[in-house]
Amino acid sequence: MVSRTTTTICPFCGVGCGLNLRTEGDRLIAVEPQLDHPVSRGQLCSKGWSSAYGIDLRERILHPLIRTPGGFRQASWDEALATIGDGLQQILDEAGPMAVGIISSARATNEDNYAAQKLARAVLKTNNVDHCARICHSPTVAGLKQTLGSGAMTNSAADIFETELILVFGADPTENHAILGGHIIRAHLAGTRLIVVDPRRTRLAKLADMHLQLKPGSNIALINALLKTILDNHWQDSEFIEARCEGLAPLAAAVADAYEGVESATGIDLETIRETARAYSKASRAMMFYGMGITQYVSGTNNVIALSNLALVCGQIGRPGTGINPLRGQNNVQGACDMGCLPNVYPGYQPVADPAVREKFSRAWKTALPEQPGLTSLGMSKAALDGIFRALILFGEDPVITDPDQNQERLALSRLDLLVVAELTMTDTARMADVVLPAASFAEKSGTFTNCERRVQHVRQALPPPGEARGDWQWLAAIARQLGSDQLDWADSEAVFREMAALTPSYSAMSYPRLDEHSGLQWPCSAETPEGTPVLHRNSFPIGRARLIPVHATAIDEPADAEYPLLLTTNRLHFHYGCGSMTRKSPLLEREIPPGLLFINPADARGLGIAHRAPVGVRSRRGYLETCAMLSEDLPPGLVSMPYHFREAPSNQLTNNAQDPVTKMPELKACAVAVEPLPPGQVPRTMDQLNAERGGIGI
Amino acid sequence: MMPCYHLDSVARLRSHLGRAYQIVQPLEDVGESAPPLVSPKGYFFAEQENLFVFDGECFRETLPQPPPFVLFGVQSCDLTAIVYQDQFFARDPYYQARRQQALLVGIDCVTPCEHGFCASVDAGPGVKAGCADLILHARAEGGWLLLVGSDKGGEAIHGLELAQADAAELRARDGRIDDCIAAFPDDSHLHRGIAAINRDRVPDQQWQQLGIQCLGCSGCTTLCPTCSCYGSRDLPGEQGDIRRQRFWDSCLYESFQREASQHNPSGEAGERVRRFWTHKFGDDFVKTFGRYGCVGCGRCEQTCPGVIGVHSVMRRIADYAPDDDV
Amino acid sequence: MPRTMMSEPAELLSLTPTVAELLDFVDDGEATRRYRFRLRDPNAMAGPEPGQFFMLSVPGAGEAPFTYTTVPDREGIFCGLVRRVGAVTSALFDCRAGDLVGVRGPFGRGWPVTQLAGQRVLIVAGGCGLAPLVCLLDQLIAQRQYRELALVYGARQRSLQMLDESRRRWAQQIPLFDTLDMATEAELGGALLGTPLELMDKILPRLGWLPDRVLLCGPELMMNTLACFFVEQGHSPQSIWLSIERRMHCAVGLCGHCYLTQHDLSHHYVCRDGPTYRWDTLQPVHVALSE
Repeated sequence: MVSRTTTTICPFCGVGCGLNLRTEGDRLIAVEPQLDHPVSRGQLCSKGWSSAYGIDLRERILHPLIRTPGGFRQASWDEALATIGDGLQQILDEAGPMAVGIISSARATNEDNYAAQKLARAVLKTNNVDHCARICHSPTVAGLKQTLGSGAMTNSAADIFETELILVFGADPTENHAILGGHIIRAHLAGTRLIVVDPRRTRLAKLADMHLQLKPGSNIALINALLKTILDNHWQDSEFIEARCEGLAPLAAAVADAYEGVESATGIDLETIRETARAYSKASRAMMFYGMGITQYVSGTNNVIALSNLALVCGQIGRPGTGINPLRGQNNVQGACDMGCLPNVYPGYQPVADPAVREKFSRAWKTALPEQPGLTSLGMSKAALDGIFRALILFGEDPVITDPDQNQERLALSRLDLLVVAELTMTDTARMADVVLPAASFAEKSGTFTNCERRVQHVRQALPPPGEARGDWQWLAAIARQLGSDQLDWADSEAVFREMAALTPSYSAMSYPRLDEHSGLQWPCSAETPEGTPVLHRNSFPIGRARLIPVHATAIDEPADAEYPLLLTTNRLHFHYGCGSMTRKSPLLEREIPPGLLFINPADARGLGIAHRAPVGVRSRRGYLETCAMLSEDLPPGLVSMPYHFREAPSNQLTNNAQDPVTKMPELKACAVAVEPLPPGQVPRTMDQLNAERGGIGI
Repeated sequence: MMPCYHLDSVARLRSHLGRAYQIVQPLEDVGESAPPLVSPKGYFFAEQENLFVFDGECFRETLPQPPPFVLFGVQSCDLTAIVYQDQFFARDPYYQARRQQALLVGIDCVTPCEHGFCASVDAGPGVKAGCADLILHARAEGGWLLLVGSDKGGEAIHGLELAQADAAELRARDGRIDDCIAAFPDDSHLHRGIAAINRDRVPDQQWQQLGIQCLGCSGCTTLCPTCSCYGSRDLPGEQGDIRRQRFWDSCLYESFQREASQHNPSGEAGERVRRFWTHKFGDDFVKTFGRYGCVGCGRCEQTCPGVIGVHSVMRRIADYAPDDDV
Repeated sequence: MPRTMMSEPAELLSLTPTVAELLDFVDDGEATRRYRFRLRDPNAMAGPEPGQFFMLSVPGAGEAPFTYTTVPDREGIFCGLVRRVGAVTSALFDCRAGDLVGVRGPFGRGWPVTQLAGQRVLIVAGGCGLAPLVCLLDQLIAQRQYRELALVYGARQRSLQMLDESRRRWAQQIPLFDTLDMATEAELGGALLGTPLELMDKILPRLGWLPDRVLLCGPELMMNTLACFFVEQGHSPQSIWLSIERRMHCAVGLCGHCYLTQHDLSHHYVCRDGPTYRWDTLQPVHVALSE
């Protein structure tokens, strides 16, 4: 009867809502929203409300497991660590540090991520460390780094209520960042103008003042036309450009012919373009949000640069109620980047290539550090296929489900000599591991998450880890010890945070007590800005003057053709998250899976003889899967869409692995497919069944 | 007329009750003017609970066996909801197993809370007779009144030394509650909305428009103190047995009524939103329960990310109310 | 005024099933089987009426509602017709003779048997909707209390027809029309091509009488359109009954899944107040906004 309430942060998306966990003894009995949380104000989305189910002890991995020819067997931590230590040492001896790497987790805490990159750099002596931002927002980091000098959301959730106009570009916030999406609805109902640019008729598009239903992949064509309109009409903020930007002339020259073919390329008429340009540039404060509809293209980085150009030219940045605001997917993707779980930067985006930075970390960590830049996660996969990358430590990620081109990913992982996976439950990736370690969930550890508005928030332990499960930094430290290093031997999470904050300028004035006092602090938070920074770039940019950089439209890599006549895009559902390993344990969210997973316009469906909820086969140049069709007017003719959460019918069987040349971001948002009806009554075969019938793929 | 006493300190009452009951206090400070974000319904209708186990041979009912406990400091809206659920779950053995063990100590609200409108739906702000075993009232001059609402309440304070309060004190209490009622903001949108619902005047399109804003989060039904829908599932038990668990469900989920055949009588969000509000304000429920399903706590307004909590919805549909009805 | 709390304690419900043994099953149409169960306690399920239903638990898979095709006899043996559509039915299909299941019931309101006596009764069933009518047809035919009785049974295609044997049996006693939405000439056999609604103009003249009572059971859209058809033909809405299908978890009016809002905005739980309803109380119920 007597319950205890622990105040913590929701483990799902990047909004970082306040969550209370109510426990009775060692049992989580309920979750509730925090009334006084600065972002979520007493609200949660369906995932947050169901988070009690996600860490349910059923199906949890409770002990270390070691692969044997006959399957996994339970092992002690000592044995598992010895196996890992010996394996790593052997590979390091034989092939050197470039043959090993770590893929960290945007779902783990800052402390865990700090420990992961420190293990890689200070102990394994490699910069081969990455995390899943590769498949969501690496173009954001690369693009905004060039134009502004910083890749984070420039403003805060609260700014939604201080703006005149909200422009949502290639994002579906009510499904993926529901509480922010809700804020946008609230602001819109109170009079804020809302313009949505998206190929799909999203929930916000249905409510918006204007919906620009552009053709997939035509972002730059549209944005350049908006820029041309603004410049032709002298609607730009010349004072701001004069004072704070450079490169207007080349940009103006580059967009001079932007009207040519723009209507057919984008599907948007010039009148609408003009109205959008006017509204955005003339608003006294306009706020821009974007998501993976911008980043997951071969032109991902350029798409981000184009948006940046638009905001800069209109001076819609550096003030409350403005800004360029990427909506980041995972609860701590911002933190994982901040912590330097990237192959080219240390914590706080301090470049590996800078000898002074290397020297600073080398002194702090009391060891020599590698100079050679590291591999990205896709680079590690590729090197594994080539046989030159041999050992991988991976946690809190299920790349076999969530990465593009699953079959290649499976093959790459199967080539490794040592795969260590720490997880809550047996994911498809964990099933391929040599050693599986039982990890602690967010409710079973303490640390910090950094939400998409750069707010660092305290995550508190409410339950003991089940069985022999351990927090991530704790087992990472154990591996370090196994390899003879005491560099990760912290007393507690707070000690990890203290070390990190001392080395990370933007976190330098943060501490656990100060985070608690302020309901989280937004970075940069240093001696100059001890209260944190809700609005970035108020007076200057990290690179001094912001850069306007001309970019040109790039066609999508694989347009529809006669053989594959429909374009496939991917989306997410409000009810599910990532690979579904937590959300699908909720009986409620599991039930909410739509009876069909391929969303298709009724006209296309009619043409193909496909009825509502009828079974269909979907084929691309890379793979084939079966599912059921959901007829929906939310998709324009010619475009079909699939959510990527479901292992029965993983959209990443189909998606294109063509990449953004800058960040290697794969083009997940557009590829050509053919859809065919299956005989009525036939039950779609799951991916497992299809693989079995094909004789498996050698796993 | 309820017996009424002077009480110098709430702590003294709490420690007295603590001798026979486990104390559960939903609010950190009993005197807070707003109800807690989470209603106390989970103390009787548990968020997840096992109904029975199957051991391979037999099905065995697994009733909860809580110790006697007191819910200490429950506001009138939540108490009204408990009375409502007492009727709804009158024959539910799991609910009753918990409910029979509980003593309810209510507390009068003397200032309106942010989203609350209990006075508009006959659910507060003062605790009504028959809704609590004991009632606390903070006197304007300081100190407390303690009203005894039931025999069980009377027995529970047996042995506690208290001075009788006079009729003037009771009148003062009524006065404070009346002042509180008068301080609530305009509620005409609520009355007009209720009329629009019961005269079926709200067009489908309006419900559909509101349905777009329903993100299906389940927040409203989870926090609503009278919502009672549940789902069930079988789970493997610890010793190879199987337990049937029931858990809070939400009628706003698209799949709530979806059948195994995929037929769905409420497949449209607008349909589900309409039904939710009909359930809270339909006159038909007054016939069964003696009151509306809504107790005016306003939690849905607070927790709805899609801005279709009670005030938001009622403002949007108020204009459809027939003129003769307002 | 709120009602006083915790008045006299009511008799408590039980949500716990009683054990029954799966005796055997026979295939009866595509993915459909007629199952026989025996209650461990033969008296555990008192006197179901035609149209009532029971809840069947397959331990580990969950619980779902089914109608009796025969009611428990003195030994506690009864039958139910099950089409494999979801988790519970799939798990049942994996069960073998001798396996134990859980049952609760009977629940709901059955067909208005007493109001059929001496009347001309037309029954129209669609697809799986024939199952809730088996008991009723068997009872009516055995007791011959009607003046006239006929059955129209529609199915989408030949393979989706069920209860072949029962229909053969009934056809010897009463006029029985099979209809198929889609069929080749060969598949058609003695059936008529089209939906029951499309064919009603042909069927009624062949009956030679007009019904005083119409009982409908099948997909909701079929029932609604047929009910409207009969009302347009001048039949009283009070003479038409239908049986509604809903998702159910509790069967005792608590879990909320089977709710139904009637045209007067009155509120029903199909498990308790249905599944059979008279058309005048449903019409014109709010059908899904999209339909």
